[in-house]
Amino acid sequence: MTPLPSPYDDPIAYDLALERFAEDLPFWLEEARQTRGPVLEVTCGTGRVLLHLLASGVDVDGVDLHPRMVERLEAKAVARGLKPRVFLGDMRDFTTPRRYARVFIPFNGFAHCETTADQLACLQCCREHLEPGGALVIDMSYPEPDYWLDTREARVLEIETPHPETGDPVRMWDTRHKDRVAQMQHSLIEIEELDAAGQVARTHRSETRQRWVYRFELELLFRNAGFRRWRILGGCWTGARLAKDTDSLLSIAWKDG
Amino acid sequence: MAYTSPYVDPALYDVVYQKVRDDLPFYLDLAQRAGGPVLELGCGTGRVLLPTLAAGVAIEGLDLDGGMLDALRSKARARGLTARVYRGDMRDFTMPGRYRLITIPFRAFLHLQSTEEQLQSLHCAREHLEPGGLLALNVFYPSAQHLKSDDGVRRLAIDVPHPVTGHRVAVFDVSRYDIAQQQIVVEREIVEHDDRGPARATNVGFTLRWVYRWELELLLVTAGFGDVQIFGSFDRRPLQHDTDEMVVLARRK
Repeated sequence: MTPLPSPYDDPIAYDLALERFAEDLPFWLEEARQTRGPVLEVTCGTGRVLLHLLASGVDVDGVDLHPRMVERLEAKAVARGLKPRVFLGDMRDFTTPRRYARVFIPFNGFAHCETTADQLACLQCCREHLEPGGALVIDMSYPEPDYWLDTREARVLEIETPHPETGDPVRMWDTRHKDRVAQMQHSLIEIEELDAAGQVARTHRSETRQRWVYRFELELLFRNAGFRRWRILGGCWTGARLAKDTDSLLSIAWKDG
Repeated sequence: MAYTSPYVDPALYDVVYQKVRDDLPFYLDLAQRAGGPVLELGCGTGRVLLPTLAAGVAIEGLDLDGGMLDALRSKARARGLTARVYRGDMRDFTMPGRYRLITIPFRAFLHLQSTEEQLQSLHCAREHLEPGGLLALNVFYPSAQHLKSDDGVRRLAIDVPHPVTGHRVAVFDVSRYDIAQQQIVVEREIVEHDDRGPARATNVGFTLRWVYRWELELLLVTAGFGDVQIFGSFDRRPLQHDTDEMVVLARRK
């Protein structure tokens, strides 16, 4: 069987499902505004976060691995009269000409580091791109018992949203296979465009893998990547502490000033 | 809240854990292969140490609890063995010798309550190993099902006959889980029966800080170990399920 493409090979389908996700945007904008210096978004994709920050006056650059995602970001920027600086690069080994007050990895981007070695390389690379006193901010899901215990491999409807042009429904289905001890999730993603009669007119299929990280594990990763000070928060962008009933892990690690 | 240590009554401790033997062949085999001095951290009353000593291996032991060590020494004497065991803290100990093998059996590593304590212990163990020496330990993998459905529920954890009287000894645990802190607080009631039924209850408590697989590997690498192997059982099959026991080998680089 030929492997399916990555969800990042089809940015138009990706945006149909996810472009309007906005719950985390106020958090990232506030984080960016609280700092004086420039911001780098790693795994910026089609610019859901980056273009919002840029349009709000933030000095922000981006890095992403996928040329088609970046092309779409640039096309969207042109349509909005924005001029982004986005670099094609691997989050484990990228280079940009500037140093930043903040590096952001939003929306589970860090989960695409599939091994401890990938994670360490990514954190080290982000740290190198920070100014002294700057900080790396990572937002990702926290793998709680409820998540692991949901062992349905049936399709789960993740998102239903109207098509931006036709108003007909767009549905994103995720069929997940989980490995608890490897902390890995394999996802078969199906983005369906429905017609006015409610029939599926088009399906975009892709697959991806994500590696989840636990709290003390992440702290060890920060330490080994050269950070010496960090905070672990939870609560879905509210700044609340990581608690028993949270499914969100927000972390901030500072580079020594 | 402070709880009475589970180690306050070594004789009762031995009654409760009389059936735990599944780890003995693994640790005994490692000790015999080491062909040199072995150190066991958290040796307690000698459940693993004494059979190893009886097999002719030069093994020494360290434990924080003096009462447990006294029990170990008297069991050794009764068997005509001379036990070289010392009272000490696995986070910060100094022994004159260096070892081919250091073991931390029976989840004793989970008594370490923070990343700092874990790293201190691993560093200290590493310092006491000869170059190329081996560290072996076992801890449970935190099963999602247990974390979810055992929280705060009173469960019959152990049910054994007293080895002398044959009367029932029942151990009831209430475990409380803090997912974010990776911590279990266990309140334990040990109920000893006589002819007529429950006769004596002993209440103890302890706190365990669990670790995940990649976290444990990072701890070992950070503390200067290499060749890390994490098995899913004492028979060295791969770690596959979250109900497996993590059985760990790592080498001093």
